[in-house]
Amino acid sequence: MSDEIKVDLELDLKGLLCPLPMVKVSQNISKVEVGEVIRAVATDPGAMADIPAWAKSTGNEVLQAEKVDGEFVFLVKRVK
Amino acid sequence: MESQQLTTLTGVIDKKMNRQLKQYMDICARCAICKDACHQYVGTGDFKYLPARRAELIRQIYKKYFTKAGEFVPALYEARDPDENLLEELYESTYACTGCRRCMYYCPFSIDTAWILSVAKSILIAAGMGNEMLGQLADAAIFKGDNAEMFEDVMISGFKEIEEEVRQITGNPEAQVPVGKQGADVLYVALAGAHSIRPAAVIFEEAGENWTISMFEAANYGFFYGDAEKARLITKRYIDEAKRLGVKEIVVPECGHAYRVAEFFYEAWSKEPMPFKVSHILEKVDDYIKSGRITVDKGIIQGKVTYHDPCQLGRNGGKFEQPRDIVKAVTDNFVDLTPNREKQWCCGGGGGIVAMEEFTKTRLASGIKKVEQLKASGASVLACPCENCRLQIEELNDIHELGLEIWQVIDLVVAAMPLPGNKKAAE
Ligand code: SF4
Ligand code: SF4
Repeated sequence: MSDEIKVDLELDLKGLLCPLPMVKVSQNISKVEVGEVIRAVATDPGAMADIPAWAKSTGNEVLQAEKVDGEFVFLVKRVK
Repeated sequence: MESQQLTTLTGVIDKKMNRQLKQYMDICARCAICKDACHQYVGTGDFKYLPARRAELIRQIYKKYFTKAGEFVPALYEARDPDENLLEELYESTYACTGCRRCMYYCPFSIDTAWILSVAKSILIAAGMGNEMLGQLADAAIFKGDNAEMFEDVMISGFKEIEEEVRQITGNPEAQVPVGKQGADVLYVALAGAHSIRPAAVIFEEAGENWTISMFEAANYGFFYGDAEKARLITKRYIDEAKRLGVKEIVVPECGHAYRVAEFFYEAWSKEPMPFKVSHILEKVDDYIKSGRITVDKGIIQGKVTYHDPCQLGRNGGKFEQPRDIVKAVTDNFVDLTPNREKQWCCGGGGGIVAMEEFTKTRLASGIKKVEQLKASGASVLACPCENCRLQIEELNDIHELGLEIWQVIDLVVAAMPLPGNKKAAE
């Protein structure tokens, strides 16, 4: 899926403990334009709930939240 | 400033000012003793971080609208409107404050600047100037509480993975991370990360505790944001869960503010008695060690070990001895920081400041007293039971090349337990 979507900002959040992956996505969302996408890779499983919850409550969109080879890969689209 | 907004902001002060706070408004002697107690003022030399100055901004509004002298001769009594300039300075001095309350400890009148700044946060939120990041983190936690079923599968699969690791460490194929266990005695409300669950699960399982894990995390960004209602809703998630499961006790993790929120603030916010005993994980662990429910070996942890009192657990939570007793149970080579306990320096990472990028420079500069203490101790290992403190001290460790190993206390305990998983790691 990630192959089809243009990624505008890559975030390496490996090794960061929750809630820091969510904090970093939130801090960086203003660095992309509305409609653009952040690809974030985290290793803390807590991010699988944190990042989608942050996106829902801020009105942004998680296009993908998947476990790939022991890492958690997110595609987050800035909606507003 | 529009009169409607002015009415709103002065209304906030009117609502918040109880007798104690009014006293704080009246009694500051401007002796400035608090300036040498505040790590942020000491580390930056910036006037806006002087504790009495932070409180003075609220005092100026108070004088203008709640005292006759300030109303009629504002220039003489330094009474001010909450205009844009004042609110901007208030934002900086308020959200930077880590709420460590070291200034209160040294103030001859025990003026609680952090409490005054909780009024400041309410004013800023009412003015639409609450910190955005903290507000977002609080809202995400509330969303998780309102939509728990949406996250259930992902949470449970995370717990199952941790359970596998617990089985490897303990060598017990039956070891569990129990989820939603009716009739458990203890509900452990961890942080969102696996690091906060894994070692606790090992200890609970080895102690034979009848426990279950919470679906919610103990961190509370509503508290840091300064919105009591958000903070209450975030806490209520696990209070309701504890009621549902019929547990006797809620155990909070190695997180300073989570303990203070559950033990001291929830009752005031919810206006109902806390229905459960609240314990910090280190109180439980200390008890397990002293009662022989778990065994730890001295000599496994190498090097001189020191301990940092997180402000919310130590000075503001009164838990000084149990963590020290645990550390002393795993090493004969313990050295305390100087000063310590209620006089302990704040590391500079509390109050949600690690999540607020705009304060990074202030935050790192404010860690200088902690750096000096750590260097003077000669320790090579630091035990530190608070996530925010560890994040801050890890950064200070890198910048100042302190060469410290920084551990959660429960990780030190697990490493010192005679467990098959530990031996395997050592081989
Ligand atoms: S130490 Fe207390 S009385 Fe003295 S300036 Fe600070 S807040 Fe005021
Ligand atoms: S509570 Fe701590 S950070 Fe805040 S003003 Fe007092 S000493 Fe400084």
